[in-house]
Amino acid sequence: MATRLQPAVLSAAILMVSATGVAFAQTDPGVRPGAINGQPAATPLVPLPLASVSANNPTGVVDFFNNGLGRFQDSEAISGGANNGLGPRFNFNQCSGCHSQPTVGGTGGPNNPQFTAIANGIAGPNDTTPAFITAHGPTREARFPFFFNNDGSANTNAPNGGVETLFTVSGLTLANGCTLAQPSFAAAAAAGNLIFRIPTPVFGAGLLENIDDSTLIAVQTAAAGNGLGISGTFNHNGNDGTIARFGWKAQNKSLLLFAGEAYNVEMGISNELFQQDRPLPGEDQLGSGLPANCLNLTGTGYPEDTTNFVNTSGTAGTTVANATILSDIEAFAQFMRLLAPPVQSTTTPGGAASISNGLALFTAVGCSTCHTPTIQSTQPSNITPSLGSVAVSAFSDLEIHHMGTGLADNVSQGGAGGDQFRTAPLWGLGQRIFFLHDGRTTDLNAAIDAHASSGSEANQVEANFDALSASQRQDVLNFLRSL
Amino acid sequence: MHSGSARLPVFVGLLMGASLIGVCRGQGQEAPQNGGDFSQQLQPTKKLPTDVILVKGAWASASDSVTPVPEGGKVTGNVYDNPYFGLDYTLSPDWIRKYDGPPPSDSGYYVLAQIQPASTFKGPQRGSLLIAAEDLFFSPTRATSALELINFTRRNLQADYTVTRAPTQVRFAGHSFVRFDYVSPVAGLHWHVLATQIRCHLVQFVFTSRDTKLLESLIQDTNKMKLPDEAGLTAGMGGGAAPVCIRNYASDEHLVRKVDPILTDRRFNPVPVRIIIDTDGRVKHIHFLSAFPDQSKGITEALLQWRFKPYLRDGQPVEVETGIMFGRVPRPTPPPATATASTVKG
Repeated sequence: MATRLQPAVLSAAILMVSATGVAFAQTDPGVRPGAINGQPAATPLVPLPLASVSANNPTGVVDFFNNGLGRFQDSEAISGGANNGLGPRFNFNQCSGCHSQPTVGGTGGPNNPQFTAIANGIAGPNDTTPAFITAHGPTREARFPFFFNNDGSANTNAPNGGVETLFTVSGLTLANGCTLAQPSFAAAAAAGNLIFRIPTPVFGAGLLENIDDSTLIAVQTAAAGNGLGISGTFNHNGNDGTIARFGWKAQNKSLLLFAGEAYNVEMGISNELFQQDRPLPGEDQLGSGLPANCLNLTGTGYPEDTTNFVNTSGTAGTTVANATILSDIEAFAQFMRLLAPPVQSTTTPGGAASISNGLALFTAVGCSTCHTPTIQSTQPSNITPSLGSVAVSAFSDLEIHHMGTGLADNVSQGGAGGDQFRTAPLWGLGQRIFFLHDGRTTDLNAAIDAHASSGSEANQVEANFDALSASQRQDVLNFLRSL
Repeated sequence: MHSGSARLPVFVGLLMGASLIGVCRGQGQEAPQNGGDFSQQLQPTKKLPTDVILVKGAWASASDSVTPVPEGGKVTGNVYDNPYFGLDYTLSPDWIRKYDGPPPSDSGYYVLAQIQPASTFKGPQRGSLLIAAEDLFFSPTRATSALELINFTRRNLQADYTVTRAPTQVRFAGHSFVRFDYVSPVAGLHWHVLATQIRCHLVQFVFTSRDTKLLESLIQDTNKMKLPDEAGLTAGMGGGAAPVCIRNYASDEHLVRKVDPILTDRRFNPVPVRIIIDTDGRVKHIHFLSAFPDQSKGITEALLQWRFKPYLRDGQPVEVETGIMFGRVPRPTPPPATATASTVKG
């Protein structure tokens, strides 16, 4: 089960964040208290859908949202349960275990459920919790930029970059004798060959999905000649050449692809987009693949997640029943697509004047060149009215930018190189705990500082930010925490 | 395959397994061989360097390492020297280049140098200088001159900036520039921009500070800058020691022989390329602003087979520099099964 954010824990998180900000003249206000996502009706387990979804327009759409929300919180089993197919390798057993902060669909919470995965019998007893997974640290996936040489060093002639799944089913009763070794995390750390990614929140993701390429290109063109050293590009989908936009490097084209890949990679569940159980990158490269007794652990064949040809709940012909026909990955995609974006606070933290001034300063120093406050507008939507022809205030241009040696993770995805990252959408930032792609900091000051290093497009903007007075920088932080 | 309507409690049965951790750990597992995702070596002979970009995406490259390229400028002592642009700029005392810039972009934008005061700087106000260039052959703004590009910047300036000096022609260091000043009242930050044109690039100096006196003194210091003869708002078309630069020169009108590159991977990134054509009409230098290695290899092999009619100036053949966009815009020519040559009339 995912651990939910409790008020006491929230306070602790705020104190922790404040304590790390002492090196700067301005202080990160920490995780914004108050309404979750700025939406009074939201709860830690129930995020809000788009307005037209709440209004059930078109008829039945709210049932699909609720169905997807439920499946997003399902705990997956190896076999024998209602939700099967977990493993044989995985990072966790529940979407919402990792996408939990500040509510279902978000990013990692204050208590990392991966830390107790072995103790709770989710991961095999033969596994060891990697040292970088801690009780209150970021929820993470791990990657090795390169494969190992025999001497334990990284083979820079053999780029890897795939997800090295944390856990296995080894030793669990339902594992059917499947025995797998975990990737060599300690050796990778010793070789400097280990990087991390944290979960990206998916609030408002349907709006990002529904922006036409021409709109994004127009935003890119308008930013040309900015005099700030910034000139981003796009990651393109390898199939049709259109602009991809999800994931830390904008490597995924659509929410369905995002869901299908995560189900396969993070949870080890094959599906209609990814039909096989996934070996580690090296197991695949070496030609061994997964051992035979680690395959088909459900005993039902592949893929483990499929369309339900007969509805499994509700009265036939109702929209409640119709929603059950979707495969899990389709239901996940609908849930993410129909989620409302976070609502900015106009007063917290620091008061309305500080937040307003912070936004103006954010624009003035050039942050908004990449973190585009608003994109006008989405395509007309054939799904629900709230997705169509609306402005998107995600604070992102959805471009990939060179972020320099300080942030480079040496993982290439699609057209993105080892130092290129998608401009992270900032909506909802006010209630995130961990920042940057690897969750290396809980302090906004440190996150901003990390934008500057050799090779980064953000160096000039960072210099402009540093040129502000401490009071002005505080306004920027207050603004960011209001999002 | 499930509907989400029925959920089981968390695996009570599996908790039994958790109690057996101490018994089962390590049983039945053999240490995998070193290699791939596995290693038993916790003290490797070498560790990956930090703060290095080892895995690059589309990146800049050139067919030789001798011919200067725009991104090849360096700070030596207190002088920024850029052989490609023929530019020498003496930095203010205690100002340094702290970081290298990003690689050239696939829209032709270069961060040539970012200069700012060192930690030893004693002055009361801080500031920064960005020296940047934009290739006028590839600019997404469709500007064809430095003046047009600065006017584009002005038109797209966000509403909360105030223009304090509209783009105005000025002279510094014996050359014509356009000067453009603006301020963010809320931030108290001022931008003074000087731009000129060299080798069909906009070359701009962007000074930023809260202190307008500091900015003005920095602007005046640019009088000490050395620039090539061609630098200027109505010039900047190469010539002299540099090749003349001509937009869209690689057209049927000037080509005698053209071989289409064979690009084996289907990618969708723009690949802007600058070439220098020698006086015999051969491609003597190729500069990829942004390309994956397989793209630069395939395009280089093709371009080296291209032949142009010699370009004559005052009756004498001279070298020509031009730009070609491969990849996304315009659409790549479908690769033939083998390289083919086509002869253009004339």
